[in-house]
Amino acid sequence: MTELMIEAEHVRKVFGDVVALDDVSLRVPKGTVMGLLGHNGAGKTTLVNVLTTVLPAESGRASVAGNDLTTAPDKVRSSIGVTGQFASVDELLTGRQNLILVARLLGASPGQARERASDLLELFDLADAADRKASTYSGGMKRRLDLATSLLGHPEVVFLDEPTTGLDPTSRVSLWEIVERLVDDGTTVLLTTQYMEEADRLADSITVLSNGSVVAAGTAAELKADVGQRTVAVTLTGESDPAAALESLRRKGLRPMNEKPQRALTIPVGAASDVAVVVRALDDVDAEVSELNVHEPTLDDVYLALTRTKTAA
Amino acid sequence: MTTTTERPTRTDAPADAWGGTSMVTQITVLTGRSLRALRDPRMLIMSILQPLIMLTLFSQVFRSVAESPNFPKDLDYIDYLMPAILVTTGSQAAMWAGVGLANDLKNGALARFRTLPINMMSVLAARSLFDMVRNGLQLSILLIAATLLFGFGPAGGVLGVLAALALALVIGWGLAWVFLALAAWVRNLEVMQMIGMVAMFPLMFASSAFVTTDSLPGWLRVIAEINPLTYAIDASRGLALGDPSWSPVFGALITSGVIAAVGAVFAFRGVRKP
Repeated sequence: MTELMIEAEHVRKVFGDVVALDDVSLRVPKGTVMGLLGHNGAGKTTLVNVLTTVLPAESGRASVAGNDLTTAPDKVRSSIGVTGQFASVDELLTGRQNLILVARLLGASPGQARERASDLLELFDLADAADRKASTYSGGMKRRLDLATSLLGHPEVVFLDEPTTGLDPTSRVSLWEIVERLVDDGTTVLLTTQYMEEADRLADSITVLSNGSVVAAGTAAELKADVGQRTVAVTLTGESDPAAALESLRRKGLRPMNEKPQRALTIPVGAASDVAVVVRALDDVDAEVSELNVHEPTLDDVYLALTRTKTAA
Repeated sequence: MTTTTERPTRTDAPADAWGGTSMVTQITVLTGRSLRALRDPRMLIMSILQPLIMLTLFSQVFRSVAESPNFPKDLDYIDYLMPAILVTTGSQAAMWAGVGLANDLKNGALARFRTLPINMMSVLAARSLFDMVRNGLQLSILLIAATLLFGFGPAGGVLGVLAALALALVIGWGLAWVFLALAAWVRNLEVMQMIGMVAMFPLMFASSAFVTTDSLPGWLRVIAEINPLTYAIDASRGLALGDPSWSPVFGALITSGVIAAVGAVFAFRGVRKP
């Protein structure tokens, strides 16, 4: 078995009479990215706060990098890097001073701190702005500085709480690339996001939170297979007979969503090879196709489906 | 070198060598961080302006107090006033420690510190230490101004004045913990400054700071005589005038210590909440 770097079991957190986290369990193997999806107030940040020892859990247990959160919080803090939703940089200090400060607090000597700060400034494309006050940085630069600060101590586990919220597309992509490189080097990442695209690209596995509970977990592909459906949308030409086409499709065992014959037909399919079955069924009755599209389920579908059922219940 | 600096690898430096650090280092590093703010002299100038104006106004406006029958004979008003200005200015400056912490809570610096392997008490201690340094600078400038411009030169001499300065610093340090606790829980600059004003201003005037308590009307005298600031001011004045009465000195020191300890407990509990 691969080593688990984050392990949470039945974590519960209550604020007054609001249940922020209810029986949340998750496991993240070493060197993988866990994407935590959920709308505002779903409990994402609370879970990050609990896992980074900032908030104590009401009940349940959790360990990060093999250290229990309650019995060895300092060991946990030494092995993690955290980038919060709002850039936590000291705007009165320069980028370099920010990095040196945190490196020194992590236990680096002044020399080590300076060296590591220079390396990271270079790496995060901040070398030119290194000696400017952070208050003059753009949003993207502050985020990069924030992330660089989180990586100072060579953390084994990195928590990124909505790291790209409010960033322009270029900054977003460059941040994704940094995360991918980190993971290549064996770092474990827990990432919260509202963007399905981000989870789809970065996360090896995804946990969907809604109102403090886990409503789904699995790989992006598994979640899509569970909830979303691949469909084929065909539009027939005016000369074709929609009724014959519908009949032929049903004969092949397909179940078009259309009740009545129409020129535009939507057919749910299982495997990708079923698309060929659709084409053959239409061919059998000489139905001419003017347009054919295959719709792959997206995480958006998954997310909407999951949160909708949750609110309905 | 080129290959190792391109990626944030876990192997390009002896990561595990950074196994956290002692509280002394934490406090030193964090105090150093705040001290950088002093390189921008605007803050210091702003904070010195108000006490300087007060010193000028009071030393001129209340000059006639020295001629009233209750006032000690052969005592210059400035020598009477200045030790009180040290204490009141030092106490008011305590608020700045809270302002600094509230700013850190707002800009996310504290959020970062909570996830580092450091003791949050170091963060608070560094704040109170920095505040003491700044307060020391501010009061020293005031002393120099009072000596050069208004002829401040009490009987206690340099040693007496330095003792009064030290006492004012300890009192300011103790009160700083109250404002650190307030900042940790209230987290709102406006509310905090309001509390600071409302608490400090009446205390300052209903005391022996500017006039002898004998010359106050009856009800005000009662307040002035139970006002802890009166004792602190009397202690500071005694030291500066070379006639120290030790019980108010120790009283002020012990009270400051107790206030600091209570403040520290609340500040520590408050500051850990995200």
